[in-house]
Amino acid sequence: MSAKMFHLGWFLGNGFGVQAWNSEWAGTGATDWMMPDQYIDLARSIERGGFDFLMMEDSVQIPNAYQGSSEYYLRTASAAPKQDPAVLAGILSQFTEKLGIVATLTTTFYHPFTVARLMSTLDHVSKGRIGWNIVTGSSTYAAKNFGFDMPEHDLRYEMADEFVELACKLWDSWEPDAVLADVEKGVYADHTKVHTLDFEGKFYSSRGPLNTTPSPQGRPVFLQAGGSDQGKDLAAKYVEAIIANPPGVEKMKAYREDIRRRAVEHGRDPDTIKVMYLVSPVFGETDDEAEEKLARRERAKNSNIEGLLAGRSHLASIDLSQFPLDEPLPDDLISNGHRSSFANFKGDGTQTLRERILAHSATDAVHLCGTPATVAAQMDEIMQEVGGDGFLIVGTPMHRRYVAEVTDGLSPALRRRGLIRSNFSHQLLRDNLLAF
Amino acid sequence: MTTVEAAKFHLAWFKSFTPHDWRSTWSGSEERDWMTGDSHVDFLRALERARFDFLMLEDSLMVSDTYGGTAEASLAQGGYAPKGDPALLASMLLSETKRIGVIATMSSTFVPPWLLARTSATIDHLSGGRFGWNCVTSSENRAAQNFGMDALPPHDERYERAAEYVEVVKQLWDSWEPDAFVMDQESGTYVDHTKVNPIHFEGRWHRSRGPLNLMRPPQGHPVICQAGGSPAGKAFAAGNADVLLSLPKGLPDMKRYRDDIRELAEKAGRDPDDIKVLFIISPILADTDDEARELQAMMNSDVEAKIKAQMVNWSATMEIDFSRFDLDRPLPDDAVTNGHQSTLATFRKFANGRTLREAFTAYRTEAIEVVGSPATAADTLQEAMEFVGGDGFLVMGPTNRRYVHEITDGLVPELQRRGLVRTEYAGTHLRDHLREF
Amino acid sequence: MMHLGWFLSFQVQSWNQMWSGNGGTEWNKPQLYVDVARSLERAGFDYMMFEDGSFVPDSYGSNHDWWLAAARSVPKQDPLPLIPMLAEHTSNIGFFATVTTSFHPPFMAARTAATIDHLTDGRFGLNLVTSHNVRTAQNFGHDTLFDHDERYRMADEWIDLCRKLWDTWDADAVVLDEERGVFADGSKVRPIDFAGEFYSSRGPLNTTRSPQGRPALCQAGGSKAGRAFGAKNVDTIIAQVNGVEDMKAYREEVTDHMIAAGRDPKECKVLFIITPVLGETDGEAQDRAERGRKAMAGAVEQNLASLSYATGQDFAKYDLDAPFPDIETNATQSSLALFKKLAAGKTLREFVTSDTRKSVDLVGTPDTVAGQMDEIMQEAGGDGFLISGSLHRRYVAEIADGLGAALRRRGLTRDGYSGSTLRENLLEF
Repeated sequence: MSAKMFHLGWFLGNGFGVQAWNSEWAGTGATDWMMPDQYIDLARSIERGGFDFLMMEDSVQIPNAYQGSSEYYLRTASAAPKQDPAVLAGILSQFTEKLGIVATLTTTFYHPFTVARLMSTLDHVSKGRIGWNIVTGSSTYAAKNFGFDMPEHDLRYEMADEFVELACKLWDSWEPDAVLADVEKGVYADHTKVHTLDFEGKFYSSRGPLNTTPSPQGRPVFLQAGGSDQGKDLAAKYVEAIIANPPGVEKMKAYREDIRRRAVEHGRDPDTIKVMYLVSPVFGETDDEAEEKLARRERAKNSNIEGLLAGRSHLASIDLSQFPLDEPLPDDLISNGHRSSFANFKGDGTQTLRERILAHSATDAVHLCGTPATVAAQMDEIMQEVGGDGFLIVGTPMHRRYVAEVTDGLSPALRRRGLIRSNFSHQLLRDNLLAF
Repeated sequence: MTTVEAAKFHLAWFKSFTPHDWRSTWSGSEERDWMTGDSHVDFLRALERARFDFLMLEDSLMVSDTYGGTAEASLAQGGYAPKGDPALLASMLLSETKRIGVIATMSSTFVPPWLLARTSATIDHLSGGRFGWNCVTSSENRAAQNFGMDALPPHDERYERAAEYVEVVKQLWDSWEPDAFVMDQESGTYVDHTKVNPIHFEGRWHRSRGPLNLMRPPQGHPVICQAGGSPAGKAFAAGNADVLLSLPKGLPDMKRYRDDIRELAEKAGRDPDDIKVLFIISPILADTDDEARELQAMMNSDVEAKIKAQMVNWSATMEIDFSRFDLDRPLPDDAVTNGHQSTLATFRKFANGRTLREAFTAYRTEAIEVVGSPATAADTLQEAMEFVGGDGFLVMGPTNRRYVHEITDGLVPELQRRGLVRTEYAGTHLRDHLREF
Repeated sequence: MMHLGWFLSFQVQSWNQMWSGNGGTEWNKPQLYVDVARSLERAGFDYMMFEDGSFVPDSYGSNHDWWLAAARSVPKQDPLPLIPMLAEHTSNIGFFATVTTSFHPPFMAARTAATIDHLTDGRFGLNLVTSHNVRTAQNFGHDTLFDHDERYRMADEWIDLCRKLWDTWDADAVVLDEERGVFADGSKVRPIDFAGEFYSSRGPLNTTRSPQGRPALCQAGGSKAGRAFGAKNVDTIIAQVNGVEDMKAYREEVTDHMIAAGRDPKECKVLFIITPVLGETDGEAQDRAERGRKAMAGAVEQNLASLSYATGQDFAKYDLDAPFPDIETNATQSSLALFKKLAAGKTLREFVTSDTRKSVDLVGTPDTVAGQMDEIMQEAGGDGFLISGSLHRRYVAEIADGLGAALRRRGLTRDGYSGSTLRENLLEF
């Protein structure tokens, strides 16, 4: 037997940034990363490959955590430079027809009116295929770019809650039938159906109404990657797909049950929130070839302790170079950034920093490695155990060969098992996401 | 108040792959860029936005030197030559659009049937079933000489040959049965060989073994378009065509022609609704009717230039040197053509004994005059269709962006508001559009 | 510096294989080829060359069953209408499409080629073949093929006529004089009144002179008559040659022919067909090549069918354990000669299960293969390579983004295009 049909998304983990640039299959990645071509090819490929959406991460600073310097990050083009994904979303919408396009916009750095208007515009030009990955931001340096200190973790989530509430009110400020476009009578819109809000919140205020018309989806599909309690709560209240990477099938299952329980508590049908797991399958023409490739990658990664520390420092906004490698991290060390993932990384204090950094994979929930047919079988098995709802492929290393392995190797293999869609039944991203 | 829903009619556009509007006020950079095809892409997108059925690309295969015995006038005018191969332009245009069809002209007299069957099937595949073939027999000896013949076969024989030609082409398209494509991954069978068969066609003029070496086109047969007005041409069209471009002028002749074709189609065992008769129009539009009339008068003011342009073109298509004739006398009785016979007959009837100057001054290519504001023009078209019974119009006019948008963004919305033309495509193939209503 | 091209047909590229994707259903639509063209353009390729044929093969087993089931060489679509679509989505790479001189009316071909040259802004060329299969002749209404050497004499006259047609419009014939209302000057457009042994045509062409003047020309004939024809007429020759020695000899022969025909040998680029096998490590690539060899050796039927295709003879009827049959062909004579040479001392079974038919071994990481290609070019004195391999997106990415980048880093391929037409790019170095 097979699992039920599930959803696929592609997570562009380094956003609109430098993808593969100095590795074997990187092509012109070093010089062309800032052009849309590679992303257009990606979007078209995954649309062909039966993916629901492409999600683009974002961050707005040049990292400075490791050794208190940007040296490592700029030398290796890690997490910087990076361009605005909303612009790319608009371009990609013109080169695809059914694929959902999800841009990351940070609540802490925007005003709700800006996000509401931008998303509404994108939803119009994409004919209803836009999603918003709601993040609260995590980096002190990013906040400083906007001229303030990063609010404390829980406060950020409180702000985010109000932010989303106001944005929703703005999206609803035009009644669905406000636009008449009556050429005979010469009436474009009925002003009695366009309302001011005069919203006064704890953090935000806005008069409204929005100055765009209601978009095809009304509001973008909400996505989120919360792992902390506050994050999960915000997700359970608002979002339609949540991204997670709990390690191992057991924890994946528990996570999904937790989210679904919280959704019910918020009065929602739990089937309206899709839990999608981050994975980075490794492919080969034989299973052995794939396993060897994975082993080579692991060796390369583990021989680059500096890279691992720099990456983790960036995520946590903590300079890990200051701690001795062969001792556990201090008990009281917590991150104001990606709080839950850092706690998960730090562990229970019985292992040294070196052991933790080597053992921990920042993305992979499970081991997926082999020929396309093997990986399809592994995914099938996992979904049968976990119960749903799909996977988010983290494209690393992100180059066209890897994209082809996924969309022209894995996708047909999954399709043969009846596990993914062979076409889109709907125009709107939300409808496609909720189709099964 | 009750309203009767008006019968919908079809819209299409007729043009050549030439720089024919290169001298007009609004020609933009067309004079230099027409061969790159880019402006055609914009043009076709505009037509698609206006939900036209198709664009039809005319063609011919020679540089004419009939007028005055030299190519000078023909090339100076740039109206009849140079002219690019329309099938290639069609494929480029189809790749930049999603729903609208494109019909390209290819000559049954000069293209080997195998090549035509294969090229048109390929374009139909590439476009997802939106291609059509305008079947012409060619009408100029100069074209025949380019292909190594001394002269064209006689007019009626060309139609006999064309009928056989269409038969062999259709058999080639049919050489793959609709369910030949199985793509069975398990057994590794892409095509079922029992459903692909040679045709062993042995005709009087054409032979081909077959089968075609590509799959049946999405439409089965690409749409076939025809423009015959002579008895031989009409009989051929009624038996084979999906859509017909017709020449008669004035409502009574238009109606007679369409009724005639429908009757012939029925006699040929076809449903007459499967063949659409479209009439040529060249609307002159403006904000007000008065302004449109003024524009029309202005366009017709240079009588000498207009007459010459017409004569140069007809010298090319009919291979009659019009420069020999005295403009102040009627068309001589001995002026005959092996080319566009019905066009010449229509003109003779229209002239009705008038001098060439008078006749040319009054002559119009279009079936009916459409002049006025979009609302007035829509009235004219609506009344014409009510009288004739169908099936629509083929716009023939300068394809500069200004004129195109007058039609697509001025006239069409008015027609759409009246429910006279479609606001959305219902089908995916060109033939679906033609048979939608 | 070397030139790169990709060799393909407009046919089912890959279906039912590990990385086929939707290859079984998307091969007959433009998007796959648009993606490939854009990738190759990124890697600085000079051109894509679309082979073509106008028949359903039925040589092997004396019926078409195997070919249709396997989707080998059939279905195959007309590449000409595809080219303008590809040009819409690219700006530098060139395209060759194949026409058969034996059956394509020269006026039609000259006009079609000039039109595509305009639509592509000078990035088009014709690949000339004479057609080697009797079924092609029959599809065009003939009983049999023309004799091999006669086909080449016809081809000579055919291209001579096309050239004259392309030259019927002077470069300054289009004057665009708006004041006087003169688009083109009639005195600069001339009939040719060509009357040859096989063809005649009055002319002039009814399209303006195309951006390249004459579209570029390509040829793949390996026979003596074919090579002489190529050396005399074309801008690029593609060659399937076994081993570096033979490559060197081949290029030298073309050079000699060209000098004899009064041409500068630099005007024609000889590209050798290769199918590199790439991996992330040399070992991985070698394993992959070994798997390929095993699969190939096991595919007896496919190999016999390929032999039948190239020679027009039904190889199903020969004893597999007898020596390679001593046959003659009116089809591709050079291929048969090569097969006979390679099969010397072997049974037919031994021949079809051995891997002797590829040009040179190029196996390894992109950098390794780039190094090998460099060495081969230094020795053979050729002008570059034509990639021919299973066309799916993963392989295209390996070539364009792996091998292409490695060659560029070594300074062996172009880093951008300096010319604006296909011919200018071919003549750049």
